[in-house]
Amino acid sequence: MADVLVPAGPPPAPTGGGPAPALSPARSPGLSPGLSPGPAPRWRLTRRQGGSGADSKARRIGDWALIGLLVLVTVIAVLAPALAPHDPVQPIAVPKLPPFTDLDHILGSDQIGRDTLSRVLVGLRTSWLLALVVTAVGLLVGTIVGLVAGMFGGWVDALLMRTTEVFLALPSMLVAVAVAAALGPGLFNTFLAVIVVWWPYYARIIRGEVRGIMARPHVEAARMAGVGRMRVMWRHVLPGVVPTAVITASLDIGNVVMVLASLSFLGMGQPAPAPELGSDTSRGLVEILDAWWIPLVPGLVVMLLSLLSNLAGDAVRNRLAHRR
Amino acid sequence: MPHLRFIGVRLASLLGLLLVLSFVLFLLQEVSGADPVAATIGANASPEAVAAARARLGLDDPAPARYLAFLTGIATGDLGTSFRTRRPVMQDITAYLPATLELVLVAFAVALLLGLAFAVSSMLRWPLSGPFRGLLFLGSTAPTFMLGIVGLIVFYKLLGWLPASGRGGVEGGPTGLSILDSLLAGDLPAAGNAWAHIALPALALAVGPALAIGRVLRSSLTDTLRSDHVRTATAKGLSELQVLRKHVLRNSLNATLSMSALQLGFMFGGVLLIEGVFTWGGLGSYLLASLPVSDFPAIAGVTFVLGGLYVVVNAVADVLQSAADPRISVS
Repeated sequence: MADVLVPAGPPPAPTGGGPAPALSPARSPGLSPGLSPGPAPRWRLTRRQGGSGADSKARRIGDWALIGLLVLVTVIAVLAPALAPHDPVQPIAVPKLPPFTDLDHILGSDQIGRDTLSRVLVGLRTSWLLALVVTAVGLLVGTIVGLVAGMFGGWVDALLMRTTEVFLALPSMLVAVAVAAALGPGLFNTFLAVIVVWWPYYARIIRGEVRGIMARPHVEAARMAGVGRMRVMWRHVLPGVVPTAVITASLDIGNVVMVLASLSFLGMGQPAPAPELGSDTSRGLVEILDAWWIPLVPGLVVMLLSLLSNLAGDAVRNRLAHRR
Repeated sequence: MPHLRFIGVRLASLLGLLLVLSFVLFLLQEVSGADPVAATIGANASPEAVAAARARLGLDDPAPARYLAFLTGIATGDLGTSFRTRRPVMQDITAYLPATLELVLVAFAVALLLGLAFAVSSMLRWPLSGPFRGLLFLGSTAPTFMLGIVGLIVFYKLLGWLPASGRGGVEGGPTGLSILDSLLAGDLPAAGNAWAHIALPALALAVGPALAIGRVLRSSLTDTLRSDHVRTATAKGLSELQVLRKHVLRNSLNATLSMSALQLGFMFGGVLLIEGVFTWGGLGSYLLASLPVSDFPAIAGVTFVLGGLYVVVNAVADVLQSAADPRISVS
């Protein structure tokens, strides 16, 4: 490995970039990479690593474009039943129609002749809206638990945090599959299965943030002025937690999309005729030799949704970080 | 001996986690309402036969006693009987585990290589490193099963280079790992065949973890390169190679090690999807066959074994980490 890393020539002279700070700055680990650009790099190995914190106009536009695109997807998801050109569960076309060959069925048809575009639209609705709900509920539960743990401290804190540690130490995907298997298939059960393994992640982050805010002067002042504990929590701590919470959730929603799609792929979503991106992909898999586009189209939609939510999540983080 | 104490504490928490996992699975089994009696002796059995079977299986005992029985079962390697295959779950799992292990291990090796390439190429800005990183990023945001499907369409359907399903190689060898078995049997074409079969699933499984590992490696390398002791080492005139070897690598490997272990653990979850796509015939395929028929003993058994592996891998990584960096201790 050392051999690979060795630069070819002597290290070039530092290329300007202002004086390097004498002491390495305290970096907040984990949560907000990119928020605090380090000192000007002196190594060839590290050149170009810094300086990513610049908030250029192009980047601003790009961020807002991504966020706008995600809003558009949300609107499409909400309106999907109206936008779908055909009934997604009725076979109405020639089976295994390839995409872009028939204007009436622009994305083709599946193995029994259902309109792929309609199925994908309604499936997108399920995937995206469910991901939003899972993230929102996970965030809500996590915020409540994190607030309580961080505010009360002592044994309450210890108990809650040990619980989250246990959850985080178990493999979330496997536990979600086991929970979904025990509860049986269905959207609500899938939701429960993901929530069960998802909230601890938020709880820990929020709790850490609460501990930090509790040590700030304004909270101390409020407490010394005799403000009650609940009021301190609602008025002085919770507002400070919101940006972290939103950033965490927006960076995480792509993962939620992926886990939901995976559970659906494993057959834990809605039962058979209902259009769902993951299960449509897995059911279409047998056609891969014959009509490979049948599993590909719904799978590509999941992939694009996941990619877009990841990128838009980053964009939300960037916007919030620069507003602080 | 602070190090021994660390290992002891970590071992205790490992046992605690396995206990919690078993409890969660027991709870789920209770919630699922799976009825082993109906599943084993059939729905038309007489009430007396049902009562006898319930008594034999201890289903009428109070819940704590049932949990205790469940736990002793796990401790003695008895995970119940599968409703579907009618065989002991443990026997099924030992039959299917080697295939899964082989896939995960190869995928992990691929992930380490890709992660290293990611970190190094983005720091040294090799030619083509941009497209490589972009592709890796794109792949890591795609669901695991989608990577498998795209791989199948490209390399199997369109190009015809790689097989679509199964494991290839020598079957029924002593280790159960078909690559290793083929080599042991001296059958090189079979080994090549096994490699061809494992290439796509392993790559699909490796892409996501590779990006995670590569990112951590890159950021810890950059952080270490910026730290004071590295500046001092450079200032006193050590060459870049010496600095890297003595002052940077060891400090950077720590976070990478724990991320690698975490990702290796995640692979035990992702392998379910990949085995579904490639009909790999390991634990994932076994679980997938058990899911639609609610064969809960099998589901619980596989979850316990894969979850246990996940927990053990992370514990081992913690111990390795404390060996690599003595500053890490229990706190």
